Amino acid sequence: MEVLVCVKRVPAAGARVPLTGDGRDIDTRHLGFTIGPHEECAVEEAVRLVAAHGGRVTVLAVGPAECAEQVRYALAMGADRGVLVDAGRSDPDPEATAGAITQAVRTLTGGEEPFDLLLFGDCSADAGHHQVGIRVATGLGLPIVSGVKALEVAGDGLRMRREAGDGVEVYRVPLPAAAAVREGLNLPRYPSLPGRLRARKAELRTVAVEPEPGGLRTVRLRQPADDRAAVVVLGHGAAAAPAVVDVLDELGVV
Amino acid sequence: MDAEDFAAIESAVREFVRKEVVPREAEIDERDEIPADLREKAAGLGLFGWALPAEYGGLGLTMAEDVRLAIQLGYTTPAFRSLFGTNNGIAGQAIVGYGSQAQRERWLPALASGEAVASFALTEAEAGSDPSGLTSKAVPESGGYVLTGTKRFITNAPIADVFVVFARTDPASTGREGISALLVPAGLPGVTVGPHDPKMGQAGAWTAEVFLDEVRVPADALIGAEGDGFRIAMASLARGRLHIAAVCVGMAERALAEAVEHARTTRQGGRVIGDFQLVQALLAESHAELYAGRSMVLRAAEEYDAGTDRRLGPSSAKLFCTEMLGRVADRAVQVHGGMGYMRGVAVERIYRDARLFRIYEGTSEIQKLVIARTLLHPR
Ligand SMILES: Cc1cc2nc3c(=O)[nH]c(=O)nc-3n(C[C@H](O)[C@H](O)[C@H](O)COP(=O)(O)OP(=O)(O)OC[C@H]3O[C@@H](n4cnc5c(N)ncnc54)[C@H](O)[C@@H]3O)c2cc1C
Repeated sequence: MEVLVCVKRVPAAGARVPLTGDGRDIDTRHLGFTIGPHEECAVEEAVRLVAAHGGRVTVLAVGPAECAEQVRYALAMGADRGVLVDAGRSDPDPEATAGAITQAVRTLTGGEEPFDLLLFGDCSADAGHHQVGIRVATGLGLPIVSGVKALEVAGDGLRMRREAGDGVEVYRVPLPAAAAVREGLNLPRYPSLPGRLRARKAELRTVAVEPEPGGLRTVRLRQPADDRAAVVVLGHGAAAAPAVVDVLDELGVV
Repeated sequence: MDAEDFAAIESAVREFVRKEVVPREAEIDERDEIPADLREKAAGLGLFGWALPAEYGGLGLTMAEDVRLAIQLGYTTPAFRSLFGTNNGIAGQAIVGYGSQAQRERWLPALASGEAVASFALTEAEAGSDPSGLTSKAVPESGGYVLTGTKRFITNAPIADVFVVFARTDPASTGREGISALLVPAGLPGVTVGPHDPKMGQAGAWTAEVFLDEVRVPADALIGAEGDGFRIAMASLARGRLHIAAVCVGMAERALAEAVEHARTTRQGGRVIGDFQLVQALLAESHAELYAGRSMVLRAAEEYDAGTDRRLGPSSAKLFCTEMLGRVADRAVQVHGGMGYMRGVAVERIYRDARLFRIYEGTSEIQKLVIARTLLHPR
């Protein structure tokens, strides 16, 4: 099975995300980078599928040259080939990213076996638009299931499961197909030390694509106000009762 | 391995230790167990075999690299390192150094991946510091040996899949002669492992007695040649000495880091205790000794790799670093005051955990004997 996994380089922020002065971006000067938890599960699933059914895992990232770090992480987890897609822009929006991936897939599969399965994270860990996988699948004319929490080979297709309200939805999908998976699908492995060494030396292929315009503009990012619990003294003794009633009323409990 | 590759490995181990193990130290200490998921992650990372040759799935590290990783591992509970310490160290190295091709192929890949655990069974009730007094027997019998004896304090015995057992194949022999090393799968009839010993510290690292009652092993269980056992045991332990010294450096770094943090943030009489010069002295003395220990380990490892010294350096480093850790841990408790005596506080655990290093893999007294003998009778 030929599997392509698309991963995004995202800042590894702690509890509080620092913003740039103009409030349009995350200030990444003092942050490390990583791949999101959904995508980590996508890589793990791909490596397991290939271990069980044969084939190869290709990992692809769109973005600056530094994305090599994330692609190599996926290689250390067991992926076979790494691809960097240079779209010539620092932060393409989901439409532009999807356009770049679609072009790259066409380049990669020109003359080669097409991918049987394209895996995406359900949404990126930073922007969280939930768009890229669906746009790429649409562009390539592939069926896609998003929000996938379980995936297995069934006959010559795949069976995928996702949570839906109180129940679950089960899909049977013929290959080739795409899936956007969620954290919890599996427990991603810790890349082994020998795997990391192999990944450091691996050749990454760079695919240039024509930048496509996207339609989204970030206007402003804002930090949520600190949500600290505070103690307010409503009064003393019986005198406090009316104020307490007001608060309960406001909370809708009386 | 080039320097950049090794730096990547070192930082991966450092990150693993600090992110995955440090937060669970109290749990490990309290439950006297390494959680299964942590064992699995450590195996996935490759920690069960990092000191084994690359062709068997290990990393094939030099001694200089080995000690740098050991310093990283020393930063957290030594029970974690102990889990894979026998695979990489005493037991694994005996197979690497002296095992046949078939023995290496049978066991090393499984040890490196963490599927199997190997234990080193040398010590007996009256053969600890001087293992040449061991009395376990491996009586040659048609096509193999019949093993009988009792080993004690055997690290990882309760989880071992295979033992490297030292026993006399020449029943008439005494002293260093006539001892052989044998590979004994834990599942063989006649092999019984006792309950794990309750210990002062290093909770989560298990030792137990191993009873061998007429255990039949085939002739190809022999590691090296008959009568090579004592030499094999000593060679495996020599490499381990530098490793243990490095673990102590890592642990002393941790103890000092905890002490500095405490001194910087805890107040008495309105001032942080780090303002008091007597507290400062505790920190400064520890730093100076730690610095000496680290320098010594790194230097001794280089000489080990170059082959210029594999006795004086390792024994001196083990002697100094294990004793140094004892003093650094003691001062770290002192800096913490009453807090340092309370369960759940890292330095309290470190103080208990540290004590073992002066005892096993050659007591401090034995290191002194090795050093003095080498000085008096250079070869
Ligand atoms: C937690 C733990 C894990 C261990 N793991 C293993 C293992 O995996 N495999 C294994 O085979 N063994 C293991 N051991 C055994 C360990 O190596 C021995 O305990 C150690 O070598 C000391 O031997 P002993 O306990 O018999 O003490 P003894 O040798 O009886 O020592 C008692 C005291 O006498 C001193 N002494 C002894 N001989 C001399 C001498 N000639 N000159 C001066 N002083 C001397 C010692 O330094 C010490 O102070 C372990 C022990 C412990 C506690």
